[in-house]
Amino acid sequence: MNEAADTISTKIVARDVNVYYGDTHAIRDVSVDILDKTVTAFIGPSGCGKSTFLRCFNRMNDTIDIARVEGTILLDGEDIYAPDVDPVQLRARVGMVFQKPNPFPKSIYDNVAYGPRIHGLARTKDELDAIVEKSLRRAALWNEVKDRLDASGTGLSGGQQQRLCIARAIATSPEVLLMDEPASALDPIATAQIEELIDELRERYSVVIVTHSMQQAARISQKTAFFHLGELVEFGPTAEIFTNPRDERTEAYITGRIG
Amino acid sequence: MTDKHHIVRAFDRELEAVQAKIVRMGGLVEAAISEAMTALTDRDPELARKVRENDRLIDELEEEIEHDTAQIIALWSPTASDLRTVLAVMRIAGNLERVGDYAKNIAKRSEVLSEMARLESAVGSLNRMAREVEGMLKDSLDAYIQHDAELAETVRSRDSDVDQMYNAIFRELLTHMMEDPRNITGAMHLHFVAKNIERMGDHVTSIAEQVIYLVTGERPEEERKKRDRTSFVQSPES
Repeated sequence: MNEAADTISTKIVARDVNVYYGDTHAIRDVSVDILDKTVTAFIGPSGCGKSTFLRCFNRMNDTIDIARVEGTILLDGEDIYAPDVDPVQLRARVGMVFQKPNPFPKSIYDNVAYGPRIHGLARTKDELDAIVEKSLRRAALWNEVKDRLDASGTGLSGGQQQRLCIARAIATSPEVLLMDEPASALDPIATAQIEELIDELRERYSVVIVTHSMQQAARISQKTAFFHLGELVEFGPTAEIFTNPRDERTEAYITGRIG
Repeated sequence: MTDKHHIVRAFDRELEAVQAKIVRMGGLVEAAISEAMTALTDRDPELARKVRENDRLIDELEEEIEHDTAQIIALWSPTASDLRTVLAVMRIAGNLERVGDYAKNIAKRSEVLSEMARLESAVGSLNRMAREVEGMLKDSLDAYIQHDAELAETVRSRDSDVDQMYNAIFRELLTHMMEDPRNITGAMHLHFVAKNIERMGDHVTSIAEQVIYLVTGERPEEERKKRDRTSFVQSPES
């Protein structure tokens, strides 16, 4: 599973990132390199800041008034917090999938076509059709919905809805895909399908996933970062984190121990 | 490894139960070595039979441990030090079972040897060698129980002594056979006893290495130097 790190380029560089919610210091001096074509898992107990940190990568924290992000985050060497960066354009490059499937109350087709439309990625109906089909295929949903693209997205099963959301996220051809607990509301079969999908997506995208399932992180990621109380405690190859963690706090967390 | 306990206590109990079986198995194997050697020295076929019978208990414990560890892996998905514990337990159980088998083989040969002329000095050397291996086994089990990687490391370094003792016995037996061809059968059996003890030493060393892995998460680095050149020896003079 482990790719030789030197053949894969770094996609995101985060340096000395601090995040505050009002007076709360949610993320403390976190520095990390996120590789391209790699699945990176963020793990840690609830409230450790892993989701907050994930949301820095596409400036989702901008939407929270009291949130303040300090430090540097570079996407392909460019500062994503530079004044001239349009967050909407950024989010087309850095897509996101959430814990609860949240399809728009629109048709399956329109759910996927939404992003390409607002970003003007298709000039003709045929081009848009092609993007929708390609995205649904990559999300491993095409065969199940190709005959009912006009049906409502909300009428799909939970697992299908989540794959629809993944199709929607990849329809804008993002470079990075952020996933916040994408399978926690799904049954084991739908979870396995999402995990298989994530493994396939790794060929094209840099995937960063927040998960509470240790086994999911172990199965699908090549790199794992453990967060605790807003700090990045340990970051390394997934196989190492799960067989021989260096930090006691990591060890206690992944083995399910308390003092 | 850590004083912390698992949030789900049942996991602690299952890990402790399987580790208790290793300790029990270790005790049986220690007894098997010592009794097999006593049977050989005292020409006691009755004791030899007991060693052979007790080997069944060792084998049964190994099967139980194999079953328990498979179950722990399936049900608890152990990670980090828990995973290393389970892996170490599986391998140590395998090593102990092999050591038990060698003890059983010594017991078997002691029954044959009790009908033959004694080769007193060789039996003395074999006892010294067996005591060394027993001591190593005891230390490696202590190292396992106490998670003592340093003690395990000393066990590892002692295996070359055992190898040297084996080489010396090999030469000694060769001398006996050259002196008097009637010694050949007995000396051949004793040579297999020596080889059994030497192999025990290798398995005990492997147990020590499991302990080092269990504690540090790293495999012991350098390979032990192989100093055994017995296969090149042609006669005691060479």
